[in-house]
Amino acid sequence: MSAHATPQRRFGFWRWVWLAVMIGAAGLAWYAGGIWKAVPPAVVLPAEPAWPGLYLAPGIPFTNTMLSALLASLLVFGPMLWAVQAFVRGGKDVPSGFYQIVEMAVEFFWNTTQSAAGKWAKRIFPFTMTIFLYVLAVNLFKMVPIHETIGYTKLAHGNIQGYSTVVVGGVHLLDGSHPYTGEHAEAAPAEGEAGHGEAEAESAYWNSAEPCENCEIVPSIRGAATDLNFTASLALITMLMVQVFGVWALGPDYFSKFFNLKTIVSKPFFGLMDFIVGLLELISEIAKILSFSLRLFGVIFAGTLLLAIVSTLSFGGAQPLVFFVPGLLVGLELFVGIIQAYVFSTLALTFMSQATVSHHGDEHSEAH
Amino acid sequence: MSDPETFLQAMRYLGAGLAVIGVAGAGAGIGIVVGGAVQAMARNPDYTPTIQTNMILGIAFAEAVAIYALAVALIILFV
Repeated sequence: MSAHATPQRRFGFWRWVWLAVMIGAAGLAWYAGGIWKAVPPAVVLPAEPAWPGLYLAPGIPFTNTMLSALLASLLVFGPMLWAVQAFVRGGKDVPSGFYQIVEMAVEFFWNTTQSAAGKWAKRIFPFTMTIFLYVLAVNLFKMVPIHETIGYTKLAHGNIQGYSTVVVGGVHLLDGSHPYTGEHAEAAPAEGEAGHGEAEAESAYWNSAEPCENCEIVPSIRGAATDLNFTASLALITMLMVQVFGVWALGPDYFSKFFNLKTIVSKPFFGLMDFIVGLLELISEIAKILSFSLRLFGVIFAGTLLLAIVSTLSFGGAQPLVFFVPGLLVGLELFVGIIQAYVFSTLALTFMSQATVSHHGDEHSEAH
Repeated sequence: MSDPETFLQAMRYLGAGLAVIGVAGAGAGIGIVVGGAVQAMARNPDYTPTIQTNMILGIAFAEAVAIYALAVALIILFV
């Protein structure tokens, strides 16, 4: 409104503040990098409890990946709901601000769904859109720096390299320049009696305020897609919904795709072939679950690992590279996260729209 | 060979490296997919959205194989 009255300033105020913050942070990192080396991550494939003794139910820990997924969905779906509600209540015709981004994303996906699914778009769209937004939220939230850095200390065991901690105000800081060089005293007996030793090591949390000599950090929060449980459950739900849409569209006839007994009598040899092809279709349905879950998990886990490893490299003492190379890779990771969300939802859309189409129609037309 | 633990670790690294060879095929596959898609888009630009969607699907399928190799390597290394 007052944009016409005051001349447009070429350079705003806040961008200088941000630039100062960025330069300050880079300088601080440069200075601190000489004192505190980055700690190479302790790579653990399964998710760990977000805090010792935090259980959802007996035997089911509340894992760090669950916490991340919960926070990510709150951070994304909360503002989205608020923006949509504010727009609907406001009664303006022209969308603006955050709502515009939401509408753009939804509209883009609606068009894609419509071109792929036709008249089933209305029923398929909510599902694929939710998957897209959820996976996107989780993948982007993974890039927030609190991930894999804040946690609780645990005695290092097995072949994980431990580090000595520095206690500042009751908080343990892992110090990368002081790796534990002593012999792995508690690792050796654990090899002998595997089951017992492992259970002992699991409970070895470091609770005292004294600096720990040989510790690792178990992150309290870790990207949700680095947990196979997250991706596998999404894949299972997706493939279940594919079957649901198939039955919805075609009725019980849908299952003749898998158990094709229609032509087994009329065409003795080729009917048998059709039956075997149907069984293969059943196997490929299971393979889809596997490929869905492993794709997302593999890409995101490998990306996290890559970032962690690259930020602990020394680059032959070329100090500036230690700060700029991980920055470039963060950009790549953002891109990969968006692409994976898109791929997951597009594949779900494709499978669903394929399931709603009867493919016996063209078989009959071929026969005639 | 005198230290079985070190030998096992060395074999793990070797196995992980061998497992990741599978990524080469996926690289060639993605190259072929994108090459074909770019040619198609250059010939008829009107169909770009359709081609792009299918291209990304094809890339995802080709990439999945690479991801299997990567998952195997990760499991060999860290489990």
